[in-house]
Amino acid sequence: MITWFIIFAVIYVGLLVFASVKSYSRNRTADEFMLANKSITSILGFLTYSAALFSAFTFMGMPDFFRNHGVGAWIFLAVSDAVMVFLILWFGYNLRSQAKRYGFKGIAGLMMSCFKNKWAGYALFASAFIFLVPYVAIQIRGISIFLDATLPGSLPSWGWSTIIVVFMLIYSEIGGLKAIVYSDAIQGLILLTVIWLIGTTCIGYEGGVASLFNGVEAVNSKLLSTPGPNGLFDRQFLITSLIAVILIPVTQPHFTIRIAVMKSLRSMHRMAIGVGVFALLIILPTAFIGMYGAINYTNAATADFLSNALLFDQADSIAALAIIGLFAAVLSTTNAQIFALGSELRSILKGKEKKVMFWARLGIFIFAIITLVFSTFMSDQLVLLARMSFTGTSMMAPVVIVGVLSKEAPGKELFIVSFTALILFLISLFNVIPGEYNGFLIESILYIVLAITTGLSLLIRKTKLQQST
Amino acid sequence: MYMKRKVKRSWHAAVAAVVILTILTFTPAIIPYGQYRPELLGIPYTLWTGILVGMAIVGLTIYGSTVCPGSKKWEESR
Repeated sequence: MITWFIIFAVIYVGLLVFASVKSYSRNRTADEFMLANKSITSILGFLTYSAALFSAFTFMGMPDFFRNHGVGAWIFLAVSDAVMVFLILWFGYNLRSQAKRYGFKGIAGLMMSCFKNKWAGYALFASAFIFLVPYVAIQIRGISIFLDATLPGSLPSWGWSTIIVVFMLIYSEIGGLKAIVYSDAIQGLILLTVIWLIGTTCIGYEGGVASLFNGVEAVNSKLLSTPGPNGLFDRQFLITSLIAVILIPVTQPHFTIRIAVMKSLRSMHRMAIGVGVFALLIILPTAFIGMYGAINYTNAATADFLSNALLFDQADSIAALAIIGLFAAVLSTTNAQIFALGSELRSILKGKEKKVMFWARLGIFIFAIITLVFSTFMSDQLVLLARMSFTGTSMMAPVVIVGVLSKEAPGKELFIVSFTALILFLISLFNVIPGEYNGFLIESILYIVLAITTGLSLLIRKTKLQQST
Repeated sequence: MYMKRKVKRSWHAAVAAVVILTILTFTPAIIPYGQYRPELLGIPYTLWTGILVGMAIVGLTIYGSTVCPGSKKWEESR
């Protein structure tokens, strides 16, 4: 396997270097560096969006989720992702219209302009920082623990974490967003290829799809329906997850930026369709891998299941490609998130472009170091932490949605209430307040409160406007 | 005017179809409590119906992209 690993690693690093060099230009403007000149084409667009969306969370988390909680995981992610891409059609149009009106450097900066209030931008930046940093860190931690277990004696897990962060910093600082987009395209294709190779191998071992599910039925038939053996996929969990997932392009800046930098509306539409197809294609084999794990590694620890199913049960060449695929999956998502935080920082800073760019680039470096530190003490609940990140940032959705739809500045009560909801959700995670009230999850209650507040705010503003005219 | 109404109606129909499919997903029609039959090609009920729902929504995204705000038809009808 080591020989194959070295061959694939050399090819992969070569492609990354090629992407960075191709994107490098000595006299590029800040917009070229941070926003790829807003000229991303359909194919690159859907690959970069997909690579940013499907990370270690998909490759490692989803098979384990299927193994432990059953087929409801499909509803949890695949159906939610399909609805999300439909939402892009509507949200993307309005976002791009507003971006045309005010100019676009980042969603936080755009909201400052829409609300005519700097605190709207600060609140959005803070929400992204609070919920993206732990999410980036958990992915780095996940892959480094996995590599440490798979290649014992090579490097400690913190060594792998450092390599990932250094890689990320070098090629994003050299090539900017364009290099990230090119490398995402490479990484998206590797991920799709390797996950299908592993998925079909798992099906092959069990003698076909029907035999695979018959095997699961014999082991634990509760995995074949909802809510699953542990009761996780009840209706409330699935609905709140759907809301959190469909709001990803609204409140997670690395996706909002990808929508805004598409070359045209038409290419954005094609990008949305591509992401939808990619989502279904990439999640399906994780179900097969998970079901294979349910049969063969019923009570195994997550790391044991993953190292066996993804590596040791595979042919050497596939196992080697899987390691590269995992590395690529983590790298593409983490650099998209860290770079987006840099873009958001740039969008809320005022001053001369050169000075702002210096702080944005320094910001990228500092965010990367913070995530590296965080990654040393995170837990290994990949999927649930990802959901937590999506749910946390989704609390700011009223701000962005009303911001991109309004022709007049919306009321500041919107970002005050949204940010308060975000803080309440955050402190519930630390058990400062309960996460559940009479069977209702705190996020369910907060979503209802936010919907009512947003409706009331819009109604009052509309009435006031009518009275004044 | 007729064209404008037709495109707008088509877009609203696509949105309504996605909303209905999404609501349907969280009913026993797609996630019946603890049931996994009837199977299709050995695939349990919630998974194969979930795959169909996912494909249908992506299909509606393809259709929606031709009639949504900002699409060629939408702009031509204005």
